[in-house]
Parts: sequence; structure tokens; C-alpha cells
Amino acid sequence: MEVNNSFGPIDIAISGLRAQGRQMKVISSNVANARTADSGKGEPYRRLEATFKTDGDLGGVELDQIVTDMSEFLKVLDPGNPMADVNGYVSMPNVSLPVEMIIMNIATKMYQANVAVLKRYQQMLETTLELLR
Amino acid sequence: MVNVNTNVAGPLQSVKPGIGPNSPGMPKIGSADEKKSSFADTIKVAGNYISKVDDLQQSSDMSIKDLLSGKNEDITSVVSAVAKADMSFKLLVGVRNKLIEAYKQTMNMPL
Repeated sequence: MEVNNSFGPIDIAISGLRAQGRQMKVISSNVANARTADSGKGEPYRRLEATFKTDGDLGGVELDQIVTDMSEFLKVLDPGNPMADVNGYVSMPNVSLPVEMIIMNIATKMYQANVAVLKRYQQMLETTLELLR
Repeated sequence: MVNVNTNVAGPLQSVKPGIGPNSPGMPKIGSADEKKSSFADTIKVAGNYISKVDDLQQSSDMSIKDLLSGKNEDITSVVSAVAKADMSFKLLVGVRNKLIEAYKQTMNMPL
């Protein structure tokens, strides 16, 4: 990316907005499937996590990949459930709602921070243009 | 022909050698062998700039249309296009006001 470009900060802030939007998509999938015992692959839903990477030198951020959390499933005692094993336990997704809430708060604050950068940069450009008056 | 080539940075050159008409990044002005630009040329350059600003306005208009018609669901690209169009239009208005002001001042000069 060109450094001497007055639209550069706008593009970078927008890339931050986009990345946090994708992050919200991953979080909403986790929350919606917090009690999904069947993900269609013969096991409960596995928690997803988004990772980010820098888009080139002095560039914005972009979503790198969405990795699956391979930690152990939650065992819930429910002998009446048809999916229960011989001991009466049912495997539930490894999603922890409090953790998702914390990640969602972080994503929201990051989004607001990027919007704040965008707004402030627009104000800076307007201050520069006032010199023409 | 009206000439807007006022070299205001001339006396300041000795104060700061890094910033002046001959420093990199500044358009070269005032050299003897170069053809001096006239007011009409300046207006032509401003006309080229208007078409560039118009392109940005058109693209922001298109992105808003795409969002409203459901073709595009990415609201951030709309924000980006509108922000760019807004900034370049403000710059264009500033330059235009300056040009008009210069023209008026020149025309009101008592001869």
C-alpha cells in the first residue's frame, strides 16, 4: 500500500471494521450452536475461533482463518436422552457462553475503536482543508 | 492573460531550505526555460480534477444503490466509498473557492 495516500487510514479503518464483523459472525455461530449435540458429523458442534493477520506492510487487518477448538466436549448427565452413552452422559459442544460474551465485548470495542479512528481522521482532513479558506 | 503564478515562497526559501518550490514533492514553478502556466491552464487542471471527484461520487452512488437493491450486503464498503467521495468533494470545493476568489481579486484590480 502507498504510504503517501490520504485515503490510506480510511481503508485501514474499514478493514478493521470488516474483520470485526467477520468475528461477530463466528461468535454468533458459536452462541447459536451452544447446545447443538449433533453437528451432522457424528459429534457435537465444535467451537470456532477466528484468527487475524496483517494485510501487507503498513496495511489493514484481514481474517486469516477460522480454526476449530479441539478441546474436550462437555459431558452432561441425562440418562433419558436417546443420545446418552451407557453411563447416561450426553456430549455437549465445547462452547462456554461467558467466554463468548467476553470475546463479543472485545469485538464490539474493537469495532468502536476503528470507527473512532475513521471519524478522527476525517476531522483531521477537514482541519487541513480549512487552511484553504 | 491573467497569471496566477505568484511565487510567495520566494523570500521564505532562505529560512527553511527543505521546503520551497524546488524541494521534492512540490510542483516546479518559476524556472526560466519552463512555460509559465496561465489561469486558463489552472482551470483545465481543475476540470480534470472535477471528473476524478465525479468518478468517486458515482462509485459511492453505485455502492449505495447496490446496498439498497440487495446486490451488495457489505455496509462497510459503502461507508468507505462515501467517506472518500466526501473528502475529495470538500477539497474540490476548497480549491474552487480559492480560484474564484483569485479571479475576483484580479478583476477588481484598479487599472
